[in-house]
Amino acid sequence: MDLEFIVEEFPGIWEGVPVTIGLFAWSLFYGTLGGLLLALLRLSRLRGLRAVSAGITWVGRGIPPLIILFIAFFVFPEIGITLERFPTGVLGLALWAAVYQGEVIRAGIMGVDPGQWEASEALGMSGRHYMRRIIIPQGLRIMIPPYFGNAMTLLKLTSIASIVTITEITLLAQRVISFKFVSLEPLLTIAFIYLALNTVLQFAQLGFERAFRLRV
Amino acid sequence: MDWGLIADIFPLLMEATRLTLQLFAGGLVVATIVGLLIALMRQSRFFAMRWLAAVYIWFFRAMPTLVIIFLAFFVVARDWLTFLSPLQAAILGLGAGAGAYKAEIIRSGILSVAPGQWEAAEALGMTPTRRMRRIILPQAVRVMIPPYLSNTVLVLQTTSLATAIGLVELTGLSRQLSNSTFKPIEVMLTAAVIYLVMSSVIVLAQMYLERRLVLKV
Amino acid sequence: MSLVKVEGLHKSFEDNHVLRGVGFTVEKGEVLAIIGPSGSGKTTMLRCLNLLERPDQGRIEVEGKVLCEPGPDGKSRFAPRNDIRRAREEMGMVFQRFNLFPHMTALQNIIEAPISVKGVGKDSARSRARELLEAVGLAHKEDAYPMQLSGGQQQRIAIARALAMEPKLMLFDEVTSAVDPELAGEILLVMKRLAKAGMTMLVVTHEMGFAADVADRVIFIDHGVIQEEGPAREVLSKPQQPRTQAFLKAVLERAPMADDEASAAALTTSDELVEGLLIGHDVRHDEKEGD
Repeated sequence: MDLEFIVEEFPGIWEGVPVTIGLFAWSLFYGTLGGLLLALLRLSRLRGLRAVSAGITWVGRGIPPLIILFIAFFVFPEIGITLERFPTGVLGLALWAAVYQGEVIRAGIMGVDPGQWEASEALGMSGRHYMRRIIIPQGLRIMIPPYFGNAMTLLKLTSIASIVTITEITLLAQRVISFKFVSLEPLLTIAFIYLALNTVLQFAQLGFERAFRLRV
Repeated sequence: MDWGLIADIFPLLMEATRLTLQLFAGGLVVATIVGLLIALMRQSRFFAMRWLAAVYIWFFRAMPTLVIIFLAFFVVARDWLTFLSPLQAAILGLGAGAGAYKAEIIRSGILSVAPGQWEAAEALGMTPTRRMRRIILPQAVRVMIPPYLSNTVLVLQTTSLATAIGLVELTGLSRQLSNSTFKPIEVMLTAAVIYLVMSSVIVLAQMYLERRLVLKV
Repeated sequence: MSLVKVEGLHKSFEDNHVLRGVGFTVEKGEVLAIIGPSGSGKTTMLRCLNLLERPDQGRIEVEGKVLCEPGPDGKSRFAPRNDIRRAREEMGMVFQRFNLFPHMTALQNIIEAPISVKGVGKDSARSRARELLEAVGLAHKEDAYPMQLSGGQQQRIAIARALAMEPKLMLFDEVTSAVDPELAGEILLVMKRLAKAGMTMLVVTHEMGFAADVADRVIFIDHGVIQEEGPAREVLSKPQQPRTQAFLKAVLERAPMADDEASAAALTTSDELVEGLLIGHDVRHDEKEGD
């Protein structure tokens, strides 16, 4: 393993880091919003809305994320949604995130002790009110570990954007492999970067868990 | 919707699905073997074993699967074990990565068996191997099945990443056909359906097994 | 006019026909105790009153407002959601498992509903909450979180929370069952005081002492049917129906361990069998030969 090489290549690959982070952050943001929508639809009183949400979730979980990305790139322009490369990448990843985080949100809400719903109803509180004040605060606590688990997966998934030539770090590493005829060094470099970003997320998770813990 | 086109490309996509299934089956076998090995290492009496297993799990869970496949293809298959074909390299990469998750699942299953079982088996004079085989693992398996099958669906999905090293499985062919036929909707829809059928089979197996095993208790 | 009027309630859960046509009335200021074995339907019946359970058939009227009545096909028709919600403001409920909001202090638990539902101002809600905490003996715990409190304390806060809505009627669902026996007393004392203050109360309970002491009337339910009903003292000391008698006997006395010859003989046989196993032959076989 050639350490000199790593030092040389690092700046080149480093340029892809903002793209990787950008893909991750934007798709997590929009994905969370989408997931919220899917979760609320799934809990709706109307059977039709529940079915739509369940259907989207079933499809989204049954097909590879790369296919979802290809759908964003190749199918959406056909139905009128044409964006530039980076936003399309965000769109594809956000669709994936919406499905998986939607499940996390739903499980979080349903994981709240049923007695809390009953006490709120018995006190005459309206559904909208007690969702906001009683259920969701408790649900958030339950959601944090799986939400971050999915977030870490999403971070790793940004690497598939390289397959549609978005210039994030995996694509840049591939270029080094092709043009400089070295393989181990660039791959270890991006491995290190992914590890570092993952560690940041783990600390963020600890922070959120601490902030949301039940006060004693 | 051009149904005629779908009829035409369907056999082609099914042919590519064969490669997908090879990747899937191979990856699953490697992942299960690796998972079992690492899980047992994690439980070992020797610190070095436990540490190695922990490092393995940590590394392979933090890596994107695509990077693991690249490592298998560009490093392992090119510089170290040069006899490996691209398909074998992909299976190795998929399996090694999934193995880390399987290891955690197997380990959770083993840990979920009540401590009293270990003690009772030991008190009856069983050797560690016999105890593991006859008492612990059968009980652990019951707990493991839902997460194991969940993860298996993900293994199926990661086969799509083999496109990146030139293997033309279902996803790779879908992209090519989307571009060559100029009808991405029909192509992607068909590919999605094929994937849905495969993953639904696994999910149904999971639900069936869950129901059967719950009743046994 | 009775405060509560219930007629012909039926409720099934899957195949289990839990309530089979129960009906009763409650007058203002009355304390009604509901007793019965597990699975008799007493909790279900209570929960139908504020429609936490929706009966399959029957009629429920609270304060003259119809919450539930038979529709044209015999099945229940319910009042609109908002009417039900408003009716619940007049009915306080205390649960077996307290159901306090764990992420709020005792004080916050009590003021949440009055502020958001009745539109009471924050300051007056707080002072009223403090009065209630004083009344249940927990004035010093207003900033404590439920996790920091004992079961008895939590339940008293739950009672205060329900009372903060100034209900006309209080529903108690086995409120001492999930609490350590030593702590049940403090809860029952609060309930006794509440009864003396004139609150209309429906109490599902196992505490016969409380029923005898505080309740005006008692209803005994078994297998989804009201078996007996009447003034508390009478039903509890001189039950008329055989089922009631059997239930009260089982609850109020505990039969001592059998110490008669039959049991002793059984034990001896067991000992011999075990010895036989250890020695390696079948004791029963030997006995037969000996006989």
